[in-house]
Amino acid sequence: MAHSIKISYSACHGCVNCIKSCPTEAIRVINGSITIIKDLCIDCGECLRACARKALGLDDDDWELIYTHGLVEAIPDPTFFAQFGSFWYPDAARTALSDRGIDLLVDESEDAFDLAAYASARIIEESSSDHLPLISTYCPSVIRLIQLQFPELLSRIIPVENPLEIAAELWRSRTKSYAPLTLFAPCPAKITLIRDPIGREPSPIQHIVAIRKVVHTLMASGVKVSQFDKSLPSNWRFATWAIRGGETKHISKFASRELTVLAVSGLRNTIDLLQQLELGRFRGVDFVECRTCDLGCFGGVAAPESRFLSHLRNRHVETEWSLTPERTDELASMYDRTKLWKTREPIPSKQRLPLSSDLTEAMSRMKQMKAIFAEMPHIDCGACGRPSCKAMAEDIVREQGEITDCVFKLREGISSLANQILSLANAQPHTLKKSRI
Amino acid sequence: MLGLSSSVCRRAAIITYEAEMNLVIHGGGGKIIANIDQDSVEIMTVDQGPGIPDVGLAIKEGYTTASDHAREMGFGAGMGLPNIKRNADVFEIDTEVGVGTTVRTVIYFQSGQ
Repeated sequence: MAHSIKISYSACHGCVNCIKSCPTEAIRVINGSITIIKDLCIDCGECLRACARKALGLDDDDWELIYTHGLVEAIPDPTFFAQFGSFWYPDAARTALSDRGIDLLVDESEDAFDLAAYASARIIEESSSDHLPLISTYCPSVIRLIQLQFPELLSRIIPVENPLEIAAELWRSRTKSYAPLTLFAPCPAKITLIRDPIGREPSPIQHIVAIRKVVHTLMASGVKVSQFDKSLPSNWRFATWAIRGGETKHISKFASRELTVLAVSGLRNTIDLLQQLELGRFRGVDFVECRTCDLGCFGGVAAPESRFLSHLRNRHVETEWSLTPERTDELASMYDRTKLWKTREPIPSKQRLPLSSDLTEAMSRMKQMKAIFAEMPHIDCGACGRPSCKAMAEDIVREQGEITDCVFKLREGISSLANQILSLANAQPHTLKKSRI
Repeated sequence: MLGLSSSVCRRAAIITYEAEMNLVIHGGGGKIIANIDQDSVEIMTVDQGPGIPDVGLAIKEGYTTASDHAREMGFGAGMGLPNIKRNADVFEIDTEVGVGTTVRTVIYFQSGQ
């Protein structure tokens, strides 16, 4: 498992703010700078938010190079259109950006998101109530969180491909072009979605750039997008996926019965919901949408605009929700004809590395770990460079740390050494007279 | 940490929980012994309680002899033994009226469930 967080070692001060913010305890501070345990990182971006020194960044591609190289075939993330002073209608944005050498794949995005929503609705309707609720695949961070911490829920992930990738495949099959595709990503999770896809062969998208960089270039070049023109087709249902609840709303429009859906955003809400789902709550719910960022993808760390403003903008522009029978037929035929919407392979679980490959050895190490943990101060101060005393005890049995890494244990050690020295100093040779003090 | 799948842990937890309730409600106390092997875990539940007169009936879902007191607290739905059986790869019950009951279950770490 790869991740898309870049560390600037010169800026990292070795403070412990980021290790505390990580929901999967994936970060350690060793020798004054941080390391990320690749297998545990879910790319939620919490550490970037916690770092005051901006020592953490996104490991995306070089936008300057891509932009100056020629025509950019770009898949806009749904968050893209609300990042400027006003909401950019996708069609208007496409027209305006075509002069700048960017070809926004708006039609393919619309088709792909419609197809994903249509496929999801069909799968939900065909599932028996025992297998509901199903979980959205849209947020890659949520998928990684489930792989790591909620493996029981893997069977509930809806087998629908991420629509951003469906859009890329639709474009390839329509144009037969081999030109590289670029995704404008709002978060590290979507970068990793492309770089290290789960449950599929390499992604059909080649380059990924943080939306922030694209927006800055465009703003600096003074691009103007004509305001809403009534004659423009309002085909941008897909842009609502940037807000919490957008996906569930879209899916509900394609369902033949009324669906009971839940949509939550933010890391804490996501973890709470998955825990409750694992306990078998939510009977009667058909579908859950989780996003690890607050307010949905607008809260992503690579989105430059205030999430509150972009959220407000998206909510206040209207799109056409009623579907013509022709459109529904078109989607039904795409659903039957192509299998582009379907995930290729089941998503595997990614549980923590066992303490040892041998069970007896692992059990004895676990016992050792508990004994070490019992001796710890249990205040999770982070001064040892680990997020908690428990993580520290685990690192020690994995031979990745010493007990003296703990400042409290070190102090205890020094104090007992000092006592020993004192008692040695007080022991006098028999040939000397006892001092009379 | 131990490299066991979450389903093995879940099944072992269900079995011990149900066995514990059976010991408290029917067995008048007893012992739960877990033997952990390289490829399986064996959970033995031993009591010196009243025994089960009709085992066939006892492992039927919904059959219960729990007291009203236990049922008022939400237990005794007649799902204990059936639940244990469903989650175990090996399920053996040895009982004698007036002497006690021993339930032996085994979960294999690599089983299909």
